[in-house]
Amino acid sequence: MKGTAAHIVRTLLLSLITLFGVSVLIFLMLRVLPGDPARVLAGLNASEDQVARIRADLGLDDSLFSQYGSFLTGLLQGDLGQSARTSQPVTQEIGVRLPATLMLAVVATIIGTIAGVTAGVVAAVRRNSLVDHVISSVAMMGVSMPVYWLGLLLILLFAVTLGWLPAAGSGDPLSIVLPAVTLAAFSTALISRMTRASMLEVLGQDYVRTAEAKGAPPRTVIIRHALRNAFIPILTVISLQFGALLGGAVLTETVFGWPGIGRLLVDSIGARDFAVVQGIVLVYAAAFILLNVIVDVLYVVIDPRIRY
Amino acid sequence: MNTTTARRRNPRIRSLAAVAALGLLISACSVSDPEAPSSEGSEGGEDATFSIAVGIDPDTFDPAGQTTTTVSNMVDYVVETLVRINDEGEIEGVLAESFETSDDGLTITLGLREGVQFQDGTPFDAEAVVFNLERITDPDLTVPQGAAFAAFQSVTAVDDSTVEITLSQPSPGFVSALSATVAGMISPASVEAEGNTYQEYSHPIGTGPYVFGEYTAGESVTVTKYADYWGEEPYYQTVVFRVVPEAATRESLLLAGQVDMIILPPVSDIESLQGNDDVEVLLAESDRTIYIALDNNDPLLSNPQVRQALNYAVDKQTIIDSVLFGAAEELDAPMAPSLFGYCETGTYDYDPDRARQMLADAGAEGASLDLLTPSGRYVQDAQASEAIAGYLREVGLEVNVTTSDFPSFLARVTAPSSEQTVDMHLLGWAPAYLDADFQMQMFREATHPPAGLGTAFYTNPQVEELLAQADVETDRDTREQLYCDASQVIWDDAPWIFLWTQSFPIVHSAEVTGIGSTPVEKFDAIYARPAS
Amino acid sequence: MRAWRRFRHHTPAMIGLGIILTFVVLAIAAPWISPYDPNAQDLGASIQGPSASHWLGADQLGRDIATRLMYGARISLLIGVLAVAIGLVIGVPLGMVAGYYGGWADLAISRLADMMFAFTSILLALTLVAVLGVSLQNVIIAVGISVIPVIIRLVRSSVLSLREEPYVEAARALGASNFRIITRHVFRNSLTPVLVHGTLSIGVSILLAAGLGFLGLGVQSPTAEWGTMLGEGRQFIFSAPHLTTFPGIAIFLAILAFNLLGDGLRDALDPRMRTVDGPAG
Repeated sequence: MKGTAAHIVRTLLLSLITLFGVSVLIFLMLRVLPGDPARVLAGLNASEDQVARIRADLGLDDSLFSQYGSFLTGLLQGDLGQSARTSQPVTQEIGVRLPATLMLAVVATIIGTIAGVTAGVVAAVRRNSLVDHVISSVAMMGVSMPVYWLGLLLILLFAVTLGWLPAAGSGDPLSIVLPAVTLAAFSTALISRMTRASMLEVLGQDYVRTAEAKGAPPRTVIIRHALRNAFIPILTVISLQFGALLGGAVLTETVFGWPGIGRLLVDSIGARDFAVVQGIVLVYAAAFILLNVIVDVLYVVIDPRIRY
Repeated sequence: MNTTTARRRNPRIRSLAAVAALGLLISACSVSDPEAPSSEGSEGGEDATFSIAVGIDPDTFDPAGQTTTTVSNMVDYVVETLVRINDEGEIEGVLAESFETSDDGLTITLGLREGVQFQDGTPFDAEAVVFNLERITDPDLTVPQGAAFAAFQSVTAVDDSTVEITLSQPSPGFVSALSATVAGMISPASVEAEGNTYQEYSHPIGTGPYVFGEYTAGESVTVTKYADYWGEEPYYQTVVFRVVPEAATRESLLLAGQVDMIILPPVSDIESLQGNDDVEVLLAESDRTIYIALDNNDPLLSNPQVRQALNYAVDKQTIIDSVLFGAAEELDAPMAPSLFGYCETGTYDYDPDRARQMLADAGAEGASLDLLTPSGRYVQDAQASEAIAGYLREVGLEVNVTTSDFPSFLARVTAPSSEQTVDMHLLGWAPAYLDADFQMQMFREATHPPAGLGTAFYTNPQVEELLAQADVETDRDTREQLYCDASQVIWDDAPWIFLWTQSFPIVHSAEVTGIGSTPVEKFDAIYARPAS
Repeated sequence: MRAWRRFRHHTPAMIGLGIILTFVVLAIAAPWISPYDPNAQDLGASIQGPSASHWLGADQLGRDIATRLMYGARISLLIGVLAVAIGLVIGVPLGMVAGYYGGWADLAISRLADMMFAFTSILLALTLVAVLGVSLQNVIIAVGISVIPVIIRLVRSSVLSLREEPYVEAARALGASNFRIITRHVFRNSLTPVLVHGTLSIGVSILLAAGLGFLGLGVQSPTAEWGTMLGEGRQFIFSAPHLTTFPGIAIFLAILAFNLLGDGLRDALDPRMRTVDGPAG
């Protein structure tokens, strides 16, 4: 465990360098992109004077060096700048939308994990049976179905035809159901495939047969021994899915009008709102670092032999 | 291997616990929230809410900062302008009862409506008008749509209800421009209240029938009825604008009865919506012209014969029927019919044989052209471009269609002539107010990129002369004729492939009525009410 | 080799191979099979459903969907496979090094992966295009780069636990070099998660590339490509669902095929794979 603690400390220290690197990269990437943020912001009806004014306001006339300098200084003080589009602080723009994305990510991951692990275990235990084939096929449909297709169909069924659930927005407490289920479809499919494959590896192993020979009931064997040992790659996939959802599932947020971060990022890229994009990418980087540290700790919890 | 460790974490129990928690969560939440606004319009005027689903997330609520019609539409509920333009294209008073322009065109006198109050209790008077006009022409404030007021020199309050505006040169479109949301009247005191500042104004306080309630980012805007409104009282107590970017989802919301009205449904569903008795479809007229701008400086395209041939080669009506599903009107002038100064100048009927002949005469057969199109910005833009390219190929041209994201698109089409990389591009242009002088900017040398958006690099001395005259012509009828003459020349010169004006579809529940539109792509639902 | 023989007798894998070969044949022979030009517009037939003249219907410009699916097979499969291949070729070695050697190598590689996670493919693609120009190749690179960190994490996690297995210790005790241990023992046993995720990622890559195509970053209309066709059909989901259904089925079949192949590959290469109810040893 001590090795793990040292690992965490070293990770967090190194992450500062990582974040610095990310800040430089995103800064440069945005300024390489074609398109003039001032013109995009001003809209098509603005005069050239207006566009020039906006460009000066955004500091785009300054040298790259000084632009990055002010970005970095602000960053070190916790100020991510101002959205060019709305003039609101970037921290506010992100802060208002982050809980919505977080909530959706958590609920979708929970659903995906429960459904996926269960389906995967069943498929593995009943390998090559009809159940296995059905589950596997459904899983492969789940990952090849475009999100907007599933989402709109669910809306059509549950909101329009049956009238049970809200079609969009996040105001109504029930409104999380459809977007979470839509997102979970992909996660469930992926997790179930990974669980099945992992379980199959483990089920053939010596210690499993030893436990069976010792007379342990099959269910205990499966869950206590097999699943536990198969869990490492499954946990990895779960965390990867959660990370992807944290990044904001743009299509789902668009289809369901969910006020999350993914939409904000895409809209801001399209509007060349540099400050917001920089802020979001930095927040992502920090979030992924944190997530991966947590998962690294969980690996040790599942398999204490692991050392870093 | 791992059977003897002390931690007996049983994944099954953990799973069960999670499922139980989720189940509790869902069941607890399925008791409907009594505070959620009801979208039932027919429950009675007291607490009734009207909900509208729109496609974009508002950027600012400051009238001075407006760039998008949908957002301006929302601001219009709270903030009013001095004048408006009615269905006949005439200027009508709103907060200004009279508006007189002097004979030399340099002074505009406004007689203001009396007894009007801002929503914060302060009086609407000449001082307030002075404040607002000075604000939107303030060189230190960013006003993207402020170009229309370029001739503004000064404004004075003659008395409490009379205002005199002095211009540096005659500007016949000035009063029309006062109908745009950018010239909306906000309460001068409000720039220091509700978290506002003069520069950053996010909570508008105006004289309109609704008071700004709250804005939940990415989600909704709420306004509530203003009890002391000077004009006709609207029916609904609360209006909610819901931000729903996906067109099919907006349509679903309407069909599920979860909103009362939507704008811009999926174009291909308009026909089925028209056949649905539960909803009503309004294909509102719009001022947005869609066209293919041709690079008039390109050696091939500098020949008017070639440009006209391109116009004859494209079957616009079929594209409108098949690709836009009827949601557009073919252009018969270089501007939309709703503009002051519009007159019909002709048609380029679909005639591929004639097109081929003209191209052959000009030695342009087999020529290769690049078409750059935006994607998802205008109704069926990329698809229409594809269809157009198909028609051009049929008359023997080689056409390569490319798309890009909008900022990149803008960067390419606004490059100066010597750096131009596109032969033609699709664009849509909607003037901020319904006057030809705004539209005509497209055809003047002064706005050739990078100075402006005249991306066809078109200029014609005759047109320049006519427009220069119209710029300072104070007599309405003369001005109208000047624009008509200029339009005719432009039409014959064919600097564009003239396509269509796209309709602005509004769909609402059949249970409500009183919904209209204005031809600037705005819906007019302030006086919506239950149908029975 | 024994592995190849096992693979050949693995029925599902052969089915998968069959599907892929069918796609390849259709893609190559498309000009002879179909009477239509994939880009030939017929506005009168806009969004027509399946009929005698258009077996799978026509899209919004009246182009024959079946033809476009055939022509598109080549590009779509190329995108899906290459993007995932990039992810594997770069991600697997990096993940192995991170998991096996641990320490600073692990820290550096993991933080590199975190950085890649933070940059979404849109940003990457836009930048690549701005610097290198619009091309299908750049889109594949951008999508591929978004696969790399996922593979790194997966492989690393497998290796972390495999490293402690007795046979690894035994090999080390017998004096085997690290390189030999990695390639012979660790690699084969960590294949499973990689194959599962990799094959499933092919569909995702196709869809991602299509999304980028809409921004003008690679595959553009009128090029027929499954993901693009899916995207173009999005607005017709209520009025003309066949525009999305058929490309969706094509993508599903491709994923299925590669999955089956992956299963076969895994079974063939992993000597310890047994069925639960099969005989021991």
